[in-house]
Amino acid sequence: MPSATVNKPRPSELLSRLTSAEPEVKVRALREVKNQIIGNRTKKLSFLKLGAVPAVAGILADSIDDVTDNNNCNNDSNNAINILVQSAAALGSFACGFDAGVQAVLDAGAFPNLLRLLANPNEKVVDAVARALRMIYQSKLAPKYDFLQQKNMEFLISLLNSEKENVSGLGASIITRSCETNLEQKALFDAGILRKLNSLLEGGSLSQRDASLESLATIFRNNPEVISKFAGPEIGRPLSSIIDLAKDRYPRTRLLACMCLIVIRNASPHFLQDIGIKTKLIHILLELLDDPGQVGDEAPFAFSSLIAQKEDLQKLALEANAIDKLHHHIKKGSLHPRRYEGILLALADMCSKLESCRSKFLSLQVLNLLADALTDYNAGVRAAACICLKSVTRSIKNLSAGYFMNETIVIPLVQLFLDPSTSVQVAALGATSNIVVDFTTRKSIFVQCGGMKQLVQLAKSMESSVRSNALWALKNFVFQADNRLKEGVFSELTASLLSSLIRDPEPSVQEQALALVRNLVDGCINLIEFVFAEDGLILGAIGRQLQCASTAEIGIQGMYALCNVASGNEFHKEAVMQLLFTQMGDKNQSFVIKFLQSNDSRLCTATVWTIVNLTCPSSPGAPGRLEKLRNAGIVSQIKNMVNDPCVDVKLRVRTVLGQSMAFGDN
Amino acid sequence: MASSKKVIMREEWEKRLNHIRIRKEDMNKLVMNFLVTEGYAEAVAKFRMETGTEPDMDVAMIMDRMAVKEAVQCGNVEDAIEKVNDLNPEILDTNPELFFHLQQQRLIELIRNEKIEEALEFAQEELAPRGEENQSFLEELERTVSLLVFKDVSNCPVRELLDISQRLKTANEVNAAILTSQSHEKDPKLHSLLKMLIWAQNQLDEKATYPRIKDFLKATLENPAV
Repeated sequence: MPSATVNKPRPSELLSRLTSAEPEVKVRALREVKNQIIGNRTKKLSFLKLGAVPAVAGILADSIDDVTDNNNCNNDSNNAINILVQSAAALGSFACGFDAGVQAVLDAGAFPNLLRLLANPNEKVVDAVARALRMIYQSKLAPKYDFLQQKNMEFLISLLNSEKENVSGLGASIITRSCETNLEQKALFDAGILRKLNSLLEGGSLSQRDASLESLATIFRNNPEVISKFAGPEIGRPLSSIIDLAKDRYPRTRLLACMCLIVIRNASPHFLQDIGIKTKLIHILLELLDDPGQVGDEAPFAFSSLIAQKEDLQKLALEANAIDKLHHHIKKGSLHPRRYEGILLALADMCSKLESCRSKFLSLQVLNLLADALTDYNAGVRAAACICLKSVTRSIKNLSAGYFMNETIVIPLVQLFLDPSTSVQVAALGATSNIVVDFTTRKSIFVQCGGMKQLVQLAKSMESSVRSNALWALKNFVFQADNRLKEGVFSELTASLLSSLIRDPEPSVQEQALALVRNLVDGCINLIEFVFAEDGLILGAIGRQLQCASTAEIGIQGMYALCNVASGNEFHKEAVMQLLFTQMGDKNQSFVIKFLQSNDSRLCTATVWTIVNLTCPSSPGAPGRLEKLRNAGIVSQIKNMVNDPCVDVKLRVRTVLGQSMAFGDN
Repeated sequence: MASSKKVIMREEWEKRLNHIRIRKEDMNKLVMNFLVTEGYAEAVAKFRMETGTEPDMDVAMIMDRMAVKEAVQCGNVEDAIEKVNDLNPEILDTNPELFFHLQQQRLIELIRNEKIEEALEFAQEELAPRGEENQSFLEELERTVSLLVFKDVSNCPVRELLDISQRLKTANEVNAAILTSQSHEKDPKLHSLLKMLIWAQNQLDEKATYPRIKDFLKATLENPAV
């Protein structure tokens, strides 16, 4: 007869039964709570709100010493065992894939009790407790495990040595979650943990193999020393067992094995570098994309970690039709957001460096697809779409053809400037920075949809990364733009905002602000007036910032800005001269000498260029300026650089010296 | 039709087949694996006694699994859920699709027994949240709930949900999930072997004419058409 009980006790009724003095009632209530919450996130939340977790944790704590002997088979000890098993199982279920549950379990103080119960004589209790702890360790909220303490390491070893899958699995989970530093990785190696994990890899069950692969990857991450010790001759040929598992029948094992191999590849230049293994990894990961479950969701992220920043792998992947395959998956639609995000990021990595990849991708008519992703309800997807767009817009060929400056892309992109998520904003700004470097005259589209005004607003954001990226986009926007456009930008920005951005507390913002000025005043003599607006606010800010430039990049952009100003008329050149000679405190040395003596040849070049413009023979005031520069020791400094190893520096130095000789210099 | 394919006559084929040795122990293992995977606990015990072949799983574990499967097949879904959770609480906690299908089956059983009020309450309290938690279940959810709309369920568009085959489908899903959680394959090896045979024959068909097996139950060699 089919059961149809829906007249269950209400949650609050259940919780009151938990406090019953009768063990049998308690056990039944615990079991009922457990059965109601397993698989049911909604119920977990509602029981959580009623305070179920502290109640169950309290029962666990009270019963912890009740089962001391595995031999008693009477009713009392059965109840005691059941109470422990059911409460541990309930706590484990609260913690399973549910961060609020993990937090509640930890807050209720159940963690140390669960650890103690691992030593309980009853097998079922140990099993339930190990499982609960494993659920906790799958969460970021798990307490940090201190591997560097001797007794902790011994405890970990005892867990890994256990025959019970849940217990050894717990040991592996602890490593995967908590091992972070090179020191910890080394400590684990020294304690022989790798050997143990390797034996689980070769002789363990499916779940033990998978857990072992994850732990190994954690121990290898960014640690070439440990890797070479592991792959060395003493432990047989362990790398080959991992390589074999990359071809295992179970998709999850294949994925984890690939991820482990990728960690090894990325950390150590000596291993897994031949073309055979590279091709194999690419093919296995592309095939894993077909998996309909979580494995398929995670596969594109593993693929990214394989190819990111590596042109040789991107080329191989292109030949393996990676772009077609990734595109095919996106086209299918109704993707899990994690998978969608992963595939977009994988495409971004594929197109990050190679024009061949970008051409291939763009040939698939992807603009509408990207436009859709830009408006997805999931923030991760939106950000990934922007990052993908940033990669493909590096294609100068298509940029020049004005391929991207159209409303399909620009309108949704500009809307993302107001996105609630900062990372989406920053990603959108990154894509915009490329798109606005439009060599055609279609930049006005960007102004029309309010993009330029939005960028100026974002330059006032509280987030420094948003400010610097907004300035970057503006810098690119005004690059070789026509005067009207530049004037529009400047009037929207205002001299006072721009000068305060030059003096921003963040170096990256200072750099971009100076670069923006550089691009604004470049090209037409009338534009130089910008830096003199409002009593020379901007020029003054540049001078002050160059005095205390904290990075070479700030010096470079600032000097090029001055260089462009110095390409103007007499008045402009004299203003620059005055700036160069402003003293700071007692120092007699102008920052010019400091820059000329810098190790960074780009900074030297920028500074010498400025001197070139100040001393160009066609301007009447040149001799006077040259005299001043000579008196300040700048000319002799430049003479010393006549054989500088950097060609740019050498050529500009010779220009200056040539110009100075035109005025009768020795 | 002139064929460039190689032709192998029956005599030659049978001669080649006779050269291949299959061990009795291997065949026993295949049979045992089938009995274990399908869950025939008594047969496993008997076969073990008669042949000395060790099952790759405890008989007790097989019986636990079979109890769950049978509960679903009888329509006792709540009972099945409790048993699965006793076996391994992780299975339903980490298998949203399976959990949804079990809840769906519970609703079907309530409707089958014409407990409409309870069914409505159940749909609201237990099934609707599944749809909220996971959008991919919404379509299936709607189909199931639509059973409540029709007066004559045996003639409605979604009547196959009331079929016993639906119970079987759910039961198999649970069985497979339990096997996977025990690191055991969810299909018997015999199944894979037969699939391999079909695939190999299809491949060979493109290259040769030979005595193929058409009927797997009889495993007789059909004479090659010349």
